[in-house]
Amino acid sequence: MSPRLRVVLLAGSFAVLAVPAWRTMQALPRFGHHALPYGDAINAAAPKQRHVTNMVSAVNFDYRGVDTLGEETMLLAAVTGTAVLLRGQREGGERDRLGPPRPHGGRSEAIVLASRIAAPFTFLFGLYVALHAMVTPGGGFQGGLVMATALLWVFLGDGHLAWGRLVRTGWVDACEGMGVAAYAAAGLGTMLAGGAFLQNVLPRGALKSMLSGGLMQVLNAAVALAVVAGFLTLFVEFLKETAGLQGETE
Amino acid sequence: MTILLGLLYVLAAAGGGCVALIRDPRRQVMAISANGVVLALLFLALRAPDVAYSEIVVGGAALPLLFLVTLASARARSQDR
Amino acid sequence: MNLLPWIIAAWLAAVGIFGIVTSRHVVHLIGCLSVVQSSTYVVLLSVGFRAGAAAPIFYDKPPGTIAVDPVVQALVLTDVVVGAAVTALLLAIALQICRRKNTLDPEALRPLRP
Repeated sequence: MSPRLRVVLLAGSFAVLAVPAWRTMQALPRFGHHALPYGDAINAAAPKQRHVTNMVSAVNFDYRGVDTLGEETMLLAAVTGTAVLLRGQREGGERDRLGPPRPHGGRSEAIVLASRIAAPFTFLFGLYVALHAMVTPGGGFQGGLVMATALLWVFLGDGHLAWGRLVRTGWVDACEGMGVAAYAAAGLGTMLAGGAFLQNVLPRGALKSMLSGGLMQVLNAAVALAVVAGFLTLFVEFLKETAGLQGETE
Repeated sequence: MTILLGLLYVLAAAGGGCVALIRDPRRQVMAISANGVVLALLFLALRAPDVAYSEIVVGGAALPLLFLVTLASARARSQDR
Repeated sequence: MNLLPWIIAAWLAAVGIFGIVTSRHVVHLIGCLSVVQSSTYVVLLSVGFRAGAAAPIFYDKPPGTIAVDPVVQALVLTDVVVGAAVTALLLAIALQICRRKNTLDPEALRPLRP
């Protein structure tokens, strides 16, 4: 199929879809005035029932906790697939370690200093975001992402040898699997305690305190662990691809 | 629908258009980064701070890094041959 | 003016699909896929928006204040993170394509040639 024919077909299908799309847009309720019964019910019930003030975390880890287990599994599958694809192709040994540093023009002192100062503070901020999931905007997903990105400062400032010393592949792999397994195990643990799968059986705590929500704290920690380890695995695998290559990149 | 919200919507459309219509992959990476920031501002204006958090980190740091490393590996590998 | 969110979402999806169809570089194609994903985020969050309402975080407001929908925000939140991981998987596949076929042009790839 030639490219021109493909574009013509695409234009034709857009033209065919344009009229029903326009009529659907006009039939929708007015923007900003949709009826939101499910959201209103959760906003009204969650602070009293679960003692949390972040409704999005309550939905993620309690009311729709099973969906988050599915998302965790998707994350695990994507990271495992990437690792299998990239590790399987390396010959093992020669490029499987982060090799010696290539000669480059020298890193500016300002960058090294800024990276060394910024990295621990960014990591601490990510930890704060992940821990305060129940009270302020944040949670395992966001905090885990910030923590994984904070370690990129180390790569920027000190090169990939320091990065390789900091991020041990064996530990990171174990943490990834343990995060997802902890989520599922928490669900099975509630069944052992006599409730349903992922029912919130732990004591709820006080409203507006960091340690509120019961089982949501455990699930939040599991998600944060899995997200940090997953994204670190992705970064490490991709960075190892560039090890041993000629050129001015590092 | 305030003027700020309308402006942010149009800006998000422009950002998305830039990402799709810039053909050179290395320039597209910068467009992805800018698109991530604009989308995060739009999500913030739509009263969704949690989503804005994720979008800033993903669009600003994680995705551009992955794209740049892939491009570097692919370019160096094709130069080896 | 009230149809602006839906029009923007339709535009993002259309331009993303156009970019995928006419792409000459696999990494550019993966970037366009992220544009199509962002159109769904815009639709979901626009559906959950309520004019004049607050964010669904009741830390500094009394519970019971009018707030926007938290369910769609939970959907979009997990979607953004998992979408990044899936994009990484697609980039790994693109690297494999570069190794095997020595090209990154989707036009030059032929399916299942023995």
